[in-house]
Amino acid sequence: MTAQFLTPEELALLSLVQNELVPSYGDLPPAGTLGAALTVDAYLAEQPRLRRPVLTTLRAIEVRAGKTPFAELDSGRRVEVLRKLENADPESFSELVKQTYNAYYTRPDVQASLGIDGPPQPMGFKLPAFDESRLARVRAMGKLWRDA
Amino acid sequence: MAAPELDSDVLIVGSGASGAAAAWSLSRRGLRVTCLEQGRWVDPSDYAHSRPDYELARQTSFAKDPNVRSWAEDYPINNSGTPIHPLMVNAVGGSTVHWSGHFPRMRPSDFRVKTLDGVADDWPFTYWDLEPFYDLNDSMVGVSGLAGDPGNPPRSPRQTPPLAFDAGCEAYLRGLEKLGWHWWPSDNALISEPFGDNRSPCNCCGPCDIGCPIGAMSSAHVTYWPKALAQGVQLITHARVEQITVDRAGRATGALYYDEQGVRQSHSAGVVVMAANGVGTPRLLLNSTSALYPNGLANNSGIVGAYLMFHPVALVSGVFEEAVNGQRGPIGGLMNCQEFYETDVSRGFVRGFELQLSRNVGPLSVANGGILGYPVPWGNGHHEALRSRYAHTMTTSVMLEDLPERQNRVTLDSELTDAHGIPAPRVEYRLGKNTQRMLEFGIARARDLFEAAEAVEILVDPLVRESGWHLMGTCRMGNDPDTSVINGWGQAHECPNLFVIDGSTFTTSAAVNPTSTIQAIALRCADWLGRNYREVVE
Repeated sequence: MTAQFLTPEELALLSLVQNELVPSYGDLPPAGTLGAALTVDAYLAEQPRLRRPVLTTLRAIEVRAGKTPFAELDSGRRVEVLRKLENADPESFSELVKQTYNAYYTRPDVQASLGIDGPPQPMGFKLPAFDESRLARVRAMGKLWRDA
Repeated sequence: MAAPELDSDVLIVGSGASGAAAAWSLSRRGLRVTCLEQGRWVDPSDYAHSRPDYELARQTSFAKDPNVRSWAEDYPINNSGTPIHPLMVNAVGGSTVHWSGHFPRMRPSDFRVKTLDGVADDWPFTYWDLEPFYDLNDSMVGVSGLAGDPGNPPRSPRQTPPLAFDAGCEAYLRGLEKLGWHWWPSDNALISEPFGDNRSPCNCCGPCDIGCPIGAMSSAHVTYWPKALAQGVQLITHARVEQITVDRAGRATGALYYDEQGVRQSHSAGVVVMAANGVGTPRLLLNSTSALYPNGLANNSGIVGAYLMFHPVALVSGVFEEAVNGQRGPIGGLMNCQEFYETDVSRGFVRGFELQLSRNVGPLSVANGGILGYPVPWGNGHHEALRSRYAHTMTTSVMLEDLPERQNRVTLDSELTDAHGIPAPRVEYRLGKNTQRMLEFGIARARDLFEAAEAVEILVDPLVRESGWHLMGTCRMGNDPDTSVINGWGQAHECPNLFVIDGSTFTTSAAVNPTSTIQAIALRCADWLGRNYREVVE
């Protein structure tokens, strides 16, 4: 699949960033490796209001990274760069984080790792019925309202 | 009946909770009723519940805030002057299309605030006057719950039993029993067993706040509207009302509106009933200026739009070591605690609040901050933090009675307009001192509850910005035309064939969700109007 909105370079950079935002967990690869960048790209194509904060953050990364490209930094240095960006422009950065979470936690494989079998419908959930005997103490409290 | 040359006997503006109930009631008496609704029918395919990305709907197509959701049918709201953002849905069924369905009644003392506590004003009728209409409404919509709550007057049997009780309820109970506080399973406009015309019961899927795709939620578009339409009510969707028209004598004659094609239309009626919610109704009345009403229809008193009340809400979440499966089961209205509902001046404020004990949300919403807005940190430790909260969190709303204050109001924005050029509403609101003291006290009690329940972490949002579902007081009821817009039957003091029946009517706000009261008032007003229609139009 190709990106609809981001350039190939921006897409690759976003993917690297996402790998630091949501690292691997158990058998699950990090968010970028899972393909979250393409999903965020689709959000950007559909929702213009998201473009400014996400692009602002992406374009500031190489500036913050300095002489060494972000892609060549080790994980610890990448995180340092991202923390600085977050402190400098928390609003834009938080939108990028939010869209990464959106892309990651809507994946069925990620949901399965949390014990979720599928979307809420059509199955719903079976829960126990209410047990009225639990109200014995409260019933004995007597009238608690003022008549008027 | 009105003169045959009129398009309708009664024109209702707005098809939400109150408009739907009134349309049913008035058409039952043989009146020719038309309802203008700026929204559309929500299509079953609009619901996201069967998709793995269903939680995205909270941020997009089913966002609570119309400024975020931005459906073509929505109108913008200038929120810059309020810490609480008004929320609403513009569709057939109004804001009952996606809501928690919490359906409590007000208490008798809520209608006698001035007499009992020396603040605000008494309503022009009592709880007991409204009680038959509460019962009628419950029987129409279908309510789950249990009669016998010592915190409230005795009431008729609920249509279906209380909703499911799970590990989260057990966690709450651990705290409530230790503290010895009142609690009761909430009344909910959400059926737990089959009810009505082939309506399926709740299957505990969870995210009621993005709509109910199976019709278990007792929303107006599945309760009143099918019956009202069967009785001959004409419901015109995509009809955006611009203003209410009047004749030279100052009587309402109908409405001007834009149809789906954007063409301006007029509709004449013997009586106009406003049911466009506590922001939409004053907006349209203020926009309906004329020689006799230079400040807006029925607003020579200057009160239309004033005395806006929300229910200020703080949210307190408890994170538990054990799994409480907080996202399974209806999200809201699980149990309520009215231990602090009635006035006790030793607390430092008058009136009171309710603790609404609710469930939680799925993993995406938890990651983005959950109900409270505390995002899970990114980077190393993210997964552990997410897993400590997801399915381990329960959330309590501290919902306060908001006293009416004149400076809190809806006006017309001087620049912002909707897509048809109609001025948008501007909301100006600030918390009163009594409310602030109550909020602090309520948050402390919610903390007490979670500590007693043995939560390992407690998170607090001291004032929820996106909590303005309950829009009240902006065309308040009363007996004095100098201090109220309408009388106890919803009839405008200044314009006798104009009625208001939505949340605008509230004299005071109580501390419970208003929809059951809104619908009971709508039924009571419609019953009176139906019996007195001839006198009203002559």
